[in-house]
Amino acid sequence: MATPTQTPTGPEQGQTVEEKIQLLRELFADAPEVGKKALENVLGELKSQVSEPRTRMESAGRVGVRQGMVSELTMIFPFAPGGARRLRAFLQLLNGNFDGANKVGSLHDMRFVFLDNDTKLLFCTAFDGEWDPYIDDFATKIPDYLDILDCGLEGWPGIRSPEAKDFLASHQITAEGWYVANPDLTVAETKRLKTVGKAVDEFLDKIGD
Amino acid sequence: MASPAETATGSEQGRTAEEKLQQVRELFVDAPEVGKKALENVLGELTSQVAEPKTRMESAGRVGSRQGTVSELTMITPLAPGGARRLRGFLQLLNGNFDGADKVATLHNMRFVFLDNDTKLLFATTYDGDWDAYIDDFATKIPDYLDILGAAVEGWPGIRSPEAKDFLASHQVTAEGWYVADPDVTVVEARRLKRVGNALDEFLDKVGG
Repeated sequence: MATPTQTPTGPEQGQTVEEKIQLLRELFADAPEVGKKALENVLGELKSQVSEPRTRMESAGRVGVRQGMVSELTMIFPFAPGGARRLRAFLQLLNGNFDGANKVGSLHDMRFVFLDNDTKLLFCTAFDGEWDPYIDDFATKIPDYLDILDCGLEGWPGIRSPEAKDFLASHQITAEGWYVANPDLTVAETKRLKTVGKAVDEFLDKIGD
Repeated sequence: MASPAETATGSEQGRTAEEKLQQVRELFVDAPEVGKKALENVLGELTSQVAEPKTRMESAGRVGSRQGTVSELTMITPLAPGGARRLRGFLQLLNGNFDGADKVATLHNMRFVFLDNDTKLLFATTYDGDWDAYIDDFATKIPDYLDILGAAVEGWPGIRSPEAKDFLASHQVTAEGWYVADPDVTVVEARRLKRVGNALDEFLDKVGG
């Protein structure tokens, strides 16, 4: 997190706010009426919002973008024959209880979505920090779960293979828009604050008695 | 959130954990070696984890899955001609500063991903509560932003159209696996906990000082 990261919108950064807004208005000239009108409605607040940005999208490292501490990972993989059936059965068995993910402790949320008649898997997560340590963390702490989940994918080399990270990165698509409500809250910090919140409640209860 | 929600895996609920586990083992008989071995490695902890689930996936209402108070929304929509250019221009202008989303206050995170040479948009969010209330909230609080974003998409009827919700629902794909690290923490609760944490730090500083 300490290294200066480039924004995914790189070449756009040289433009002024007025130039960017002007460009957008030109692009919206042939938008459907509903979109053109909506843009005019918010043009005022958009200008001030863009002039004083509170945050910005940065690179999450090798692939993906980050807002503050929280990064996105979005991957689409073709399924190998039989892979979708196995993965679905495994997900139904867990029913959302990914105890392994709790163990890793840097994962905010994770979804598995089956696309195009079970021929593709969409996998999305929100996680803390940078791509490389995140993937390493999974590979070190819960390698077997990664192999169970990924062995249905076409060409999965196995998490212990030196090619595993290249395989994952090659299927990732960087988001071009990424919003996080609390970019300063890691999973660990949220857990700490929950503990603090409970302790303060107990403390105030005792004082009130 | 008060009504008992059906699980996303509906018909699977009749089976016992043992039966589900047995099915997974049978399906993994013809998995690649790396997956078969990984399943055997974790079979012990998996059996106890499945026997005592701490949480479960439920329906987020009309479409999507939920864990505790946190739901997923995943949509893939074809982009209209020129739509990708307009949307990209808008996203680059904002650079992740979605002040409108802060206003709604039920949105944990949101990503926009361009697929298949800018012909499709993947839109995925993590949000609080049920689908209908969430969409209504956006439609009421920031209709113009929805129309700016929606105008990129093929067939968008406009957020004020009575068909808007049907349009959105028809492009949504329910996740079959959904994990949330802190299913009890809404966006609003996370903000409250941050304030409590700050107040406690100040208090302790004063007591100590």
